[in-house]
Formats: sequence, structure tokens, C-alpha cells
Amino acid sequence: MAQVILKDVVKNYGDVYAVNHVSLTVEDGEFVALVGPSGCGKTTTLNLVAGLIPMSGGTINIGDRDVTDLDPKDRDIAMVFQNYALYPQKSVYKNLAFPLQMRKLPKEEIDKRVQAAAKTLDIVHLLERKPRELSGGQQQRVALGRALVREPRAFLMDEPLSNLDAKLRVQMRSEIKRFHQDLNATIIYVTHDQLEAVTMSDKMAVMNGGFLQQYDSPANVFANPVNMFVASFVGSPAMSLVPLTAASKDGKVVLQSPEGWEMPLSDANGRKALSAKSSKVVLGGRHSTITVHKSQVPGAVPGKVYTVEPTGDVTFAQVFVSGAVVNVSVAPTFQLRPDEPVFLEFDQDRMHLFDGETEMALKLA
Amino acid sequence: MTMELSAGAAKRRGAGGWRWSGRIFLLLLLGFTVMPMIWMFITSLKTGFAAMQYPPQWWPAEPTLENYWRLIDPSGNVGRDFIQYFWNSIWVSTLTTILAVVVAVPAAYAFSRFRFPGRNFLFFAVLLRNMFPAVVFLVPLFILMKALGLVNTHGSLILTYLTFGLPLAIWLLKGFYDNIPVQLEQAARIDGATRFQAFFLIVMPLSTPGIIATSIYSFIGAWNEYIYAYTFLTRHDQMTLPVGIQRFFSENATDWPGLMAATFMMSIPVVVLFLVLQRYFVRALTEGAVKH
Repeated sequence: MAQVILKDVVKNYGDVYAVNHVSLTVEDGEFVALVGPSGCGKTTTLNLVAGLIPMSGGTINIGDRDVTDLDPKDRDIAMVFQNYALYPQKSVYKNLAFPLQMRKLPKEEIDKRVQAAAKTLDIVHLLERKPRELSGGQQQRVALGRALVREPRAFLMDEPLSNLDAKLRVQMRSEIKRFHQDLNATIIYVTHDQLEAVTMSDKMAVMNGGFLQQYDSPANVFANPVNMFVASFVGSPAMSLVPLTAASKDGKVVLQSPEGWEMPLSDANGRKALSAKSSKVVLGGRHSTITVHKSQVPGAVPGKVYTVEPTGDVTFAQVFVSGAVVNVSVAPTFQLRPDEPVFLEFDQDRMHLFDGETEMALKLA
Repeated sequence: MTMELSAGAAKRRGAGGWRWSGRIFLLLLLGFTVMPMIWMFITSLKTGFAAMQYPPQWWPAEPTLENYWRLIDPSGNVGRDFIQYFWNSIWVSTLTTILAVVVAVPAAYAFSRFRFPGRNFLFFAVLLRNMFPAVVFLVPLFILMKALGLVNTHGSLILTYLTFGLPLAIWLLKGFYDNIPVQLEQAARIDGATRFQAFFLIVMPLSTPGIIATSIYSFIGAWNEYIYAYTFLTRHDQMTLPVGIQRFFSENATDWPGLMAATFMMSIPVVVLFLVLQRYFVRALTEGAVKH
């Protein structure tokens, strides 16, 4: 296994930049998730690493080699595709053997490795079948097997679970994670599902509009999103964002709403709010850091319940606050009715503030 | 799906009249298409006298294979010419087919996979040829062939047949390649194949039905073509079957049994080709039609 380094990678089609100056380093043995909404450039980035499409600029290193101008076959990588891309005319055995045959390994060695991979993935009994005779989950395993037989420097996975049903997806998720741990494999994994990224990866690279937004551990991305896009993309339900105005009042900083209510900020948050380019500040809060009150308490802001969604363990609700939707959660015993007025108290230590102009997170200098 | 279909079938069966009228219609249609062939075969077994009898003999009183022996007997005039025509036809059709496939496969693949400037225009231009009736090009092509010194050669026919066959072949094969997921090639290239290997080892085998269907189309097209062969060839030793068998019409009388035997022989290669390869052919037509 090896390190993968992307340096200033660009892919443009005329004026359209699918991948815009992306740099990131995947350490040896690391599981990195490229995550973002569709069209964000994550699959293009993966295809660039694979060498399937030519780069417009930048360099890619795999291990100690610069692979920028190498053919896919010379990059020593393996890839798992969303639609599995199993060779339909070949049996499972021949699918697994193909990458080894292409590398001209002796027959006995091929057989040994195919059998070993089949055993690891528990598909020995399927070796003589054709791909179309397999279930989705089995095809998925064969696709993994074909990647695994070769002992490549890095695994590239393009939404490998998105064609599976929900239950199988959860199961395969843990199997791929296990696969990563057992092999100590370097994996770059593309997904649009932030939950997959959060649960599986060591690090996640959040992309949007061709730009790399944030590259950090899921915990850090979750706790310290660098901008409003990352904040609203990662986490389920999403972080709620309320556009407000910062103002100084009696030596304290407050956030004001157009409706006239004010929310005093702690000293630290006050300094953050004042560092914004203008007075426009966006308040961000995750449901777990917001307390719902039925009556006014100091610092809480007024809102109106929009929908209530009991899930059993916890009840989620959407509350309108100053025209924005805020996701909150309450204990199932806490009764909420639509259109009921409530008061939301944001945890000052865990709230997020963003610059209303630049959409970047406000940080203490 | 199956359930729905059988439910639908049951419903139709309820309206029993439709089922029978449908079958009768199909039988009539079948008779319409098959009868001439049967009549052709029956006539080919008759003597010249029996063929002209009225009312006609539905089955010859004295069936004879004489007409066939005459055609394949190389010592006779008729046989020598017929065998020559037959080989000419085989040669022209086969070469046309091979060339069509050799050119159409890479062309169709390129149209399907690559984005290049003028791609849509070129594809349209390729198909444009088939939007005109063949006869429109007869005179221009004759002048062209004359200028090229190709009149009375098989080259003139092969080139002409390619102008019909190729567009169709490219179009048909492109549909095929469009339906083969590009990820298969990408997987192959990552697995260690070059672009060419990915094409030959993975994509080509998957497009075999398409290639076979294309081959049949262009073979039949070339095999049956009459008007160009009639115009471009005047020398007897060059003629293909559709033109050659005209010799059975003479000024005084038409040798109907001989003509029918020759037509019957002429249809054998096509029918055999079709029967042997029909499962690919059907697959090609349906797979090309349905997006997966």
C-alpha cells in the first residue's frame, strides 16, 4: 500500500471546472472519503487518480512515483465501480483472474490468489457462475474480490454501495471497513452519502463545485465545519443556519433578527461575530446543541413548530426561526404540536457562527 | 412482470374472438410471404412443359431434379455460368461484408465513446446517404466508376455496396456500443489492459451479436443487389447472381423451371446464414432497442 498525493489537480472542460485546484494527501493505509453532492467533482477526481481521464493540470503521486502521465494499467491501483463493472461474459473465477492474467502471472499463482480472495470474501461457491446469476450483494463482493486479488497500491471505490438496498448497504459498509482494517489498505472512496463518509473514513474530503472545501477527520469536520456548505452537508439532520445581524449593545455583542428579537452572545462568540466582514452573521446549530423550551428563558429565541417527526428514540422537529428552518430534537415524552410557539436555546459553547458575506466559519484570531 | 403479462394474456383470451382473428390474420400474412417461395420450389421441380400447363399442377406429376443438375453441372454451358455467377456473388458479398465490419466496428466505437469536434455532424453525414433512394446515385456512381476505370470489375460493386452497408452497420453497431457500460473498459484498463486490449478482450466479445447482425445485413444487401450490378457489369464472367440469372429469360421463351431452380439455389446461402445466426440476430435487434 502507498501514499497518494494530489497536488493542485485541475480538470476543466473549457470554462467549466469540474475539479478546481484540489490538493490532498492520502496517507499510506488511510481510508479517505470524497464526499459531496452530485456534480461536485468527486467522481472526476477519482477518475483522475485512476488515470481514466486526462488531467488539465497538477500532479498525482502514488507511492514514490509520479503517475500523472501514466496509463491506468501502469498506476497499480484497483477500482470498484458503482455498477460493479463485472465482465458479463466471464465467470466469477475469470473475472477475478483477469487482472492477474493481464499482468502475466503464472497459472498456479493466479489460481492461488483467486482462491484466496474468494475465500476472504466468502464467494468460493460462486466461482463458476456468471455475474448475471448473482445477487447485487454477491456482485459487490466479486467486484471487491477483483480489486483485492492484485494487492494494488491503492483502492479506488466509486459509490460502491449505492446500488444496494438499505439493509445490505449497512452490512457491506461494515465489511468494507473490516476489509480496510485487515489489509491496512489505502482507500479513496467516493460517496454522496455523508453518513457513509462519516462512519467509514479516517478522513473525509468534502467537495463542492469542484473545490475541496474541507479535508479532515469526520469528527473535526463535524465539530468544526469551515464554511456554511460543509456545515449544512455533514450531519443528519443537517446543521441549521439562521441569517442574523451582529450588533454591539452595552458592551455586549448580540445577534438581532429582522423581527426585533435579540440573542446575547458569550464573550468568545461576540468576538467571533465582530470579526465578520460585515454585520451579517449566520448562526449555526446542530439539533443536539439546541434546547427547546415551551416558555421564554434568558437567551432563547422565539420560533414556531413546523413539523414533528417522532422516530421512537427521539423526536425531531423543524422550527421556523426568523424565516429559517431549524432542526431540533426532543425526548419522545416532550409533546410538540405543529404551529406551537417555542423558544430555542443555543448552546453558546457549541454554536457556530459564519460570516454572512463569505460564508466562512468565524474563528477566534 | 411475468405475472402482469399472463394476467393480460388471460384478459385477451376472455375476448376470444380477437385471439382467433389475430391468428387468422397471421396465417394469411404467413401465406402471403411463404407462398411465392413454395411456388418457386414446386416450379423448379417441373419440366418446362409442366410449368406452362393450365390449370397449373399444384404438385408436378413427374417431379424432376433435372433443373438443379443442369445448374451445377460444370460441363454444360448453363452450369458453368451459374457456378461462375455464384462464386462472383459469394466473393463480392463476402468482401463487402468483411470490409463493412472492419470499418464499421472502429467507426461505431469512436462515435459511441469519443467526443470529438464534428462528431454529431459526421454521424449525421454517415446516415444521410441512407436517406436517399439507392437509384439516385446510379448515374453519378457509374460516371465515377468509369473515371476510376472500375466498370466491369467487382471493385465497383464492393465500393458501391459499402456506401449502403457501412452507414447501416455503423449505426447498428453504435447502438450496441452505447449499451455496453464504459465502466467495463475502464475496469479492464485499471486491471492492466491497454485501450486496445480492453476493446478486444472485453468490448468486442460483448458486441459479437451486433457484429453478426451487421454482417448478415450487409451480406444480404450485397447478395440481393440488382440494379448496380446490372449497370456496372456487362461482362458475363463478372456478373453476380441477380444479374446472371436473367439469362433464363430469352427472347423467345422463359425457362421458368430453370429460373426457379436458380433462384432457389440463390436463396440458400442467405437462409442458411440466417438460420445459423438468427439467435444473435434477434438478440441484436432487441438489445439495440432497449436501454438497460
